[in-house]
Amino acid sequence: MILEMLQDPLVRVAFAVLLPIIAIFLGLFYKGLDRKLSARLTSRIGPPIRQPFRDVRKLFLKENIVPENSIPWMFNAMPLVAMATSLTLLLYIPFGPFPAPLEGRGDLIVLLYLLAMQPLAMALGGFASGSPYASVGAQREMVLMMSYEVPLATIIVGFAYLYASVPAAASAVWAPFSLGMIAQTPVWAVVSGPVGIIGLLILLGVLLVVTPAELVKIPFDIAEAETEIAEGLLAEYSGRNLAMFYLSDAVRSFAMCAIVVVLFFPHTLSSLVPLTAYPWNTEPVLFTLETLWFLLKVFIVYFFAVTLVRTSFARIKVDQAAKFFWLHMTLAALFGLLLIYLDVGGWF
Amino acid sequence: MDLTLLTGYGFWNPLLWLAFLLIFGGISYFLWALRGNPAYKPGTEQVKPFISGNPEPAKDLVHIRARHIYWGFVEGLRGYYSFARKMHTGDVRDYALWYLGVGVVVLILLVGGI
Repeated sequence: MILEMLQDPLVRVAFAVLLPIIAIFLGLFYKGLDRKLSARLTSRIGPPIRQPFRDVRKLFLKENIVPENSIPWMFNAMPLVAMATSLTLLLYIPFGPFPAPLEGRGDLIVLLYLLAMQPLAMALGGFASGSPYASVGAQREMVLMMSYEVPLATIIVGFAYLYASVPAAASAVWAPFSLGMIAQTPVWAVVSGPVGIIGLLILLGVLLVVTPAELVKIPFDIAEAETEIAEGLLAEYSGRNLAMFYLSDAVRSFAMCAIVVVLFFPHTLSSLVPLTAYPWNTEPVLFTLETLWFLLKVFIVYFFAVTLVRTSFARIKVDQAAKFFWLHMTLAALFGLLLIYLDVGGWF
Repeated sequence: MDLTLLTGYGFWNPLLWLAFLLIFGGISYFLWALRGNPAYKPGTEQVKPFISGNPEPAKDLVHIRARHIYWGFVEGLRGYYSFARKMHTGDVRDYALWYLGVGVVVLILLVGGI
């Protein structure tokens, strides 16, 4: 019944507008959990989980300083562009038991481009700040983007190659780049042998390494680097502009972890536990359980790809990051792709 | 009328994306304009760039050129770039030879059906 309701165009539009707004709250909540857990891992008490909500409220109250060297229209516009483009990411990602609001209207390649838009807006905002620290931060952001996009694109090619081998009749929404199809048919069921599984595990490892770089978190927070360049591209941002970047980062972090879940762990709770065997298996209860299951999976990815990594490692230098992604991660992703090619070709 | 662009494998509806971008841009703007504080003190110390308390250098000294953007990239892949730079001799005959050599390889790959 719920899925039938979503067929109604008006309900679908309302869902498409509401879901990203819900994601803002979820992003801030996960940010709070991340800060709390990171503190606990280093034997600190840490801030309360609601601290990111307080930070945003306070930032909206603070002065919004526009530096005299800046290009004011671009300096003020970029936080809004970052926020709006981050929200559109959620339109293409299936949300647990719910299909993506714009299912069939955008694929993985669109997501790849949309993921690049927020850092690009931040870099432009940094350049528009007219500050040496911000310019250095923006340069670093550009270099980092050019570095991690290659392994990320290789992962997407691997998925498309794998799903292109699935017969069209196996899914209602057949298209190799479709996240809807990937969510319905877990990738682990598409590979046919151990070689393909090893290939997928390599691609998963690469994606988990790319995730903190994509989200500008330690060890890849080179563009912000508080201790070296005083928050880098955010050095001149304050008040409501900084609040918008903060919110866009929260949404994007949630979206990126949700993408990892949909690509590699789309398994529903009912596929693991026979939920329908219980007497309370009404549709709203099942949808609630599936949604909570999805949020738990996103949290687990967030914890392992962001919280644990940023607590355990120190920041690396920008040239090290470029070399790491272009050589090590790209080669690893290509090797994973080769194994998938061999699996699809039936070589093993 | 469905305006989704189909590429054979991929699909995208740019107009729908643009429509939602405008909606979310509007929501972000209202949040920014109505909830945010627009005040600050122009013409004071507040609007000077933050350089850890150091005096601001002349503009031409901190001007960022395009090649600076790629510093980390070139530094990280120094081995490749030093190899690639050696190929750029500036002699047009060398470039013509490279063109010819790469052309032959491409032809072998395409016509040879490898």
